[in-house]
Amino acid sequence: MELEELQASWIAMSQELEKQKRLTNEIILKMTQDRFQKKFSTLRSFETVGAIICYIMAGMIFFSFEKLDTWYLQTSGVLTIGFLIVLPTFVLKSLKKIQNLDILNGSYKENLLIYIKEKNKLLRLQQIGIYLSYLLLFLVVPVFTKIISNKNIFLSNFKPLQGVALFVALVLMFFFTRWGYRSYKKITNSAEDVLRDLES
Amino acid sequence: MSNKEEFADIIREHQGLLYKVSAIYTNNEPDREDLFQDIVYQLWKYFDSFRNESKISTWMYRVAMNTAIIHLKKVKRTPTSESITDSQIQISDVKDEVFEERMRLLHQQIYDLNTLERGIMLLLLEGKSYQEISEITGLKPSNVGTRISRIKQKLRENMTKA
Repeated sequence: MELEELQASWIAMSQELEKQKRLTNEIILKMTQDRFQKKFSTLRSFETVGAIICYIMAGMIFFSFEKLDTWYLQTSGVLTIGFLIVLPTFVLKSLKKIQNLDILNGSYKENLLIYIKEKNKLLRLQQIGIYLSYLLLFLVVPVFTKIISNKNIFLSNFKPLQGVALFVALVLMFFFTRWGYRSYKKITNSAEDVLRDLES
Repeated sequence: MSNKEEFADIIREHQGLLYKVSAIYTNNEPDREDLFQDIVYQLWKYFDSFRNESKISTWMYRVAMNTAIIHLKKVKRTPTSESITDSQIQISDVKDEVFEERMRLLHQQIYDLNTLERGIMLLLLEGKSYQEISEITGLKPSNVGTRISRIKQKLRENMTKA
């Protein structure tokens, strides 16, 4: 379909829409109510739910910190808290920037630039998160075993079943990381094209 | 006339514009309705800021297209008790099978266009001049011309592939 054909089709569709104007004032005013906005609240996004879970876990470690009675458990606890707070905070900040685009005064081009840059940033953070989760796996298990069961995993005998569980977890994480990286490359490559186009 | 009534009248008058913006940025019915409602909400939020410095339709395109960008981030949701359902807003009354078929064909054509090109394409199909496209998108008028040539080229390539 050439542009001229598309235009003809578009005009025909516009004329149909003109004939079918059926929205009433009552329906329109319903759409302006605040309760509707709740549907778009950032609380609904996976990232925000994830961040809240991370903050709760960080809080649990913080308020039970005295249970971590050796230097290595304390170090693991501090690193885990840092991981659980810093990364989600960056993600939320990036999401907020997207939510707060200047719809009124910003041009389409400016907003699209901000959107693509923030989306790239979000994807990068997610990638970093995935790689850091390998490290976190070795930090979070001893910390929470100590907090919940009061057992020092480093002083316990390593059982074969634990080894199998760790191996399965690492294999699953490997496939998840590979899938995440491929998706990341696909999205960012196309985003980079638009960015180059916008900045040219 | 109250502010709300004036706003509702303007939306009723320009609802076709809003349907078209919603349609070009989404590829399924629930997303299209979500975007339509979000655009109406944003237009109402900023309605008092409209100062007749530009045409009302130019202002509406700008707000609608900027809202569509934020919508790109959102994932497909399942209907919730808080959402306004079809039966309440009757958006589905506005379009029919012919409309859906036209949208399907259109989507086939614009599938390979990126978000910026889709925006330009929308305004071009709406018969906007390079100057108006420039005003809404923030691109230079000369740049608009170059991009339109590129879009035409892409459409031709798509046609050859099909």
